[in-house]
Amino acid sequence: MTHHSALRRLAGQEFFGPLLALLIITLIVTVTTPSFLDPQNFRNIALQVSILSIVAIGSTIVIITGGIDLSPGSMIAFLTMCLAVFIKNQGLDLAPAIALTLLIGCALGIVNGVLVAYVGIPAFIVTLAGLSAFKGLALTLNGGTPAFSLSEQLGQVFYGTFLGLPLPFFYVVGGYLLFTIIMEHTRLGREIYAVGGNESAARLSGINVARVRLIAFSFAGACAAFGAVLLSARLNSGSPNYGANIELQAIAAAVVGGASLAGGRGRVMSTLIGSLIIVVVQNGLNLNAVTTSMQSLTIGLIILIAVGLDVWRARIGRGLARLIGTNTRRQGA
Amino acid sequence: MATPLWELVNICKAFPGVRANDGISIRLNAGEIHALLGENGCGKSTLIKILSGVHSPDTGEIRLNGRPITLGSPIDARSKGVATVFQEFSLAPTLTVAENIFLGRYPRRGPLVDWAKMRSEAARVLTSLEIAIDPARLVGSLSVAEQQLVEIAKAISVDATLLILDEPTTALGEHEIAVLHRLLRRMKNRGVAVLYISHRLDEVVELVDTATILKEGRVASTADATRLDIPSIVTAMIGASVEEHYPKVRNATDEVLIAVSNLRSARGARGASFSVRKGEVFGLGGVIGSGRTEIARALFGADPASGDIRIEGRPVRIRNPRDAIAAGLALVPENRKFDGLFFNFHGGPNITSAALGAIRRLFLLDKRGERRITSDFIQDLEISPAAAHKCVNLLSGGNQQKIVIARWLFAGSRVLILDEPTQGIDIGAKIAVYRLVNELTARGCAVILISSDHSELIAMSDRIGIVRNGAVVETLPASQVTHAHLVQASASADGAATAA
Ligand SMILES: Nc1ncnc2c1ncn2[C@@H]1O[C@H](COP(=O)(O)OP(=O)(O)OP(=O)(O)O)[C@@H](O)[C@H]1O
Ligand SMILES: [Mg+2]
Repeated sequence: MTHHSALRRLAGQEFFGPLLALLIITLIVTVTTPSFLDPQNFRNIALQVSILSIVAIGSTIVIITGGIDLSPGSMIAFLTMCLAVFIKNQGLDLAPAIALTLLIGCALGIVNGVLVAYVGIPAFIVTLAGLSAFKGLALTLNGGTPAFSLSEQLGQVFYGTFLGLPLPFFYVVGGYLLFTIIMEHTRLGREIYAVGGNESAARLSGINVARVRLIAFSFAGACAAFGAVLLSARLNSGSPNYGANIELQAIAAAVVGGASLAGGRGRVMSTLIGSLIIVVVQNGLNLNAVTTSMQSLTIGLIILIAVGLDVWRARIGRGLARLIGTNTRRQGA
Repeated sequence: MATPLWELVNICKAFPGVRANDGISIRLNAGEIHALLGENGCGKSTLIKILSGVHSPDTGEIRLNGRPITLGSPIDARSKGVATVFQEFSLAPTLTVAENIFLGRYPRRGPLVDWAKMRSEAARVLTSLEIAIDPARLVGSLSVAEQQLVEIAKAISVDATLLILDEPTTALGEHEIAVLHRLLRRMKNRGVAVLYISHRLDEVVELVDTATILKEGRVASTADATRLDIPSIVTAMIGASVEEHYPKVRNATDEVLIAVSNLRSARGARGASFSVRKGEVFGLGGVIGSGRTEIARALFGADPASGDIRIEGRPVRIRNPRDAIAAGLALVPENRKFDGLFFNFHGGPNITSAALGAIRRLFLLDKRGERRITSDFIQDLEISPAAAHKCVNLLSGGNQQKIVIARWLFAGSRVLILDEPTQGIDIGAKIAVYRLVNELTARGCAVILISSDHSELIAMSDRIGIVRNGAVVETLPASQVTHAHLVQASASADGAATAA
C-alpha cells in the first residue's frame, strides 16, 4: 500500500508527465543513436540546454500570468550586438559591458511590460512588434554586421569551470532555484499565479495586476539578456542573426513542461524538463543528419503533442489512477 | 405502478476520491415537477449531468418509457428529448442572445442560416418567459440575472419531454421566479417531465409535485416518502431538524462606522447615500437591475466612482480595490466563479489572497502557517476538508462561498459587502453564513447585505435601504419591512422603469 501511495503521489505531480516523456525520448534516442552516449555529445547537450533553459524561465513566467512573449529571440540578437559594441567599439571592460547588457535587457522587458500592462495592448501584439523591432535595432549597430573575437576572457564566462563543473551548470541551477523560490515561495510569485488564474478575482483581492504583469515581462527581459551574454561568450561574438527562433523553443519548453497558455498553471522546474526534451530531440535528429527543416517540423509536432496531452491529461490521470489501483473513498464534499 | 416516462436505475458515478452518485434510482413522470434536493456536493449536478449526456454513469441504467437508453453526449441527449439548464452557464459571451438560444441548431433555409426566423423564434421564446431582452444583444453584455434567463430560454426552446433545471433561480429576483414558475406549470400541463434543483426551499415547496432528497450520493428520501414541507425536507437533507432558519442576533450600536454619500459610477450607482453602524447589518433591497451590485462595486473601488466615503468620520479615498481593502472594506461578489475564486488554487491560497502580507516571513510566504490557517478556517466554518488539497473548482458551491468569506475574515475587514452571499448554497451552509454574519457584527464589523431572497433580507438585516435606479430611496428598520412592502417597492420600480 505504501509504495502504491508513493507512486500515486509521484503520478499526481505536475512534472510527472514531462519527466516520463523525457525518459522515454532519451531511451529512444539512446537505442537508435549509439553516438548519443558519447561524453562529448553529453557536453554539447548540456551547453545547448543551458542557454535555452534560462531564456525559457522568462517565457514560463509570462505564460503563467496569462501572457506570451515572442520577443526574446530578437532581443538576444540586439543584446549580443550591444555587448559586442560595448567591448569592441567602446572599449569597455568585460564586467561593466555585461552589466550594461543585462540592464538593457531588463529595460526592454519593462518596455514590453508597460505596453501590455499599462497601455493595455495584448501581449501577443506587443511582443510580435518587439520581435520585429528588436531585430531592427540589432541591425542598426556595427553597420548591421556581426562582430567577432570580442575578448580573450569572454569565453571564460561560458567555458570556465568551478569545482570541476562547467559554469553554465551553476547558472542553470542558480537561475532555476532563484525563480522557483520566487514563484513558489514569495508573495510576488503567488500574485503572478493569481493574475494568471483569474484576473478579476486578483483585482478584487487587492492585487496590483498591472504591476505584476510588468514585473513578469521584466523577468523575461532579464532572462533573455542573460541568455544573450552566454551566447556571446560561447561564440565570442555578436550577431543580428543570433537567437533566431529561440522564443518558439522557449515557449515550447514551457508548454511541454506543462504550463497552460490560459495562464495560472505551470512550474518553473518543469520548464527545465521541457527544455531538455526539446534539446534531446534536436540532438538526436542532428546526430542522424536530419535536415533543419525536418527539425523545425519535429519541434512543431512536439508542441502539438504536448498541448494535446494537456487537453487529455485529466483523462490520462484518471486512467493512470485506475491502473495503479487507487480505490476511490467516500469523502465529505 | 405505471412506467415512468424517464427513469434512472441504480446510477453510480465516482470521481477521484469521491463517490458522487452511489446507487441512485429516480422516476420522472410526464406532467410532474420533481424536485431533486440535498446539501452542496451531495451529487445533484452529477446526476443531472448523467441524464444530460455530459457524464456517462459507471454503472446503472437510464430508461425512456421503460426501455434502456444510452445518452452518449449532450447533443445525443437533446435529440432524445432532454433539455437542460446547467448550474454553470454554458453561454457563449461573444454571440448574440438569439444565436445562443439556437446554438448548434440554427434554423436553416437551404444551406444558409435563416437569420430572420432565428430572430423571430428567439423573440417568441423570450416573450413566453416575459423577458424584455433584445435578441440581438451580445450575451457578454447582459447581467447575471439576464444571462440566467437566456439560459432558461435556450432550454425551453427545445421540444423536450424532460426539462432539467439545475438551480435556475440563484440569480433571479422574486418577480422573475414567479414568471418561471408560471412557465414551468404550463409545460407540466403540456405533459413535460420537469426535474428541478434549488436551494430555495420556500420556492420549491410552492412549485413542485414531489421531491427526491439525496445525501452523500445516495437517496435519503424517495419521492413517495418525501413530505413537501420545509421542516421535514430539511430533516431529511441534513439528518437533523433545524429550529431557527434565521438565527439573527442583534448587535447594532449607535456608532456610525461607514457613511457613504452621493456615490456615483458610470456602471449604475446614481447618487447613493447611506450609513452603516458598528455591529449593524444594513440590507439593500430592490429588484433585479435596481443597481445594488453597482453600488457595491462602486463602494469597493471595483468600478471607477465618485462620492464621499467616511470611515469613523474620517474621509477615505477609494480609487481601486486595494484602497478599499486598506480601508477595511471587503466584497464578496455576486458571481463567485468569475470574480471570486482562483480555480488554479487550492483552498488555502484562495483564502489568503487578499492578505498575503500577513503570511509573509521576511521575503518568503509561510506556507506551513498558511496550511494551519486553512485548516483552522476549514474547522471553524465547517468547510469540506478536501479544500485543503483540492483545487476549488472541485468543491461544492457552498464550500466555495465559505472560502470567499473566509478570505475577508482572514484579511480582518471591518466593513463587509455581501452580494447575494447565500446564492446556490444549501440550508446548512446558509445558516453557517448567517452565524458568520452574527459573529462579524458581534466583533463590531458593519455588514452590507444584498439579497434577492426577501425572507432572508428581512430576517438578517437591522435596517433596509430600498434601492431604485442606483440610489437608496428609503431606509426602514427591517422589522417594519414586509414582503408586501418589498414587492410594492419592486412594482413601483417596475412602473418607473417602463414609464422611463
Ligand atoms: N468533474 C469532477 N471531478 C471531480 N470531482 C467532482 C467533479 N464534479 C463533481 N465532483 C465532486 O462530486 C461531488 C458531487 O458534486 P455535485 O456537483 O454533483 O454536487 P451538487 O449536489 O450539485 O452540489 P451543489 O448543490 O453545490 O451544486 C462533490 O464532492 C464534487 O466535489
Ligand atoms: Mg450542483
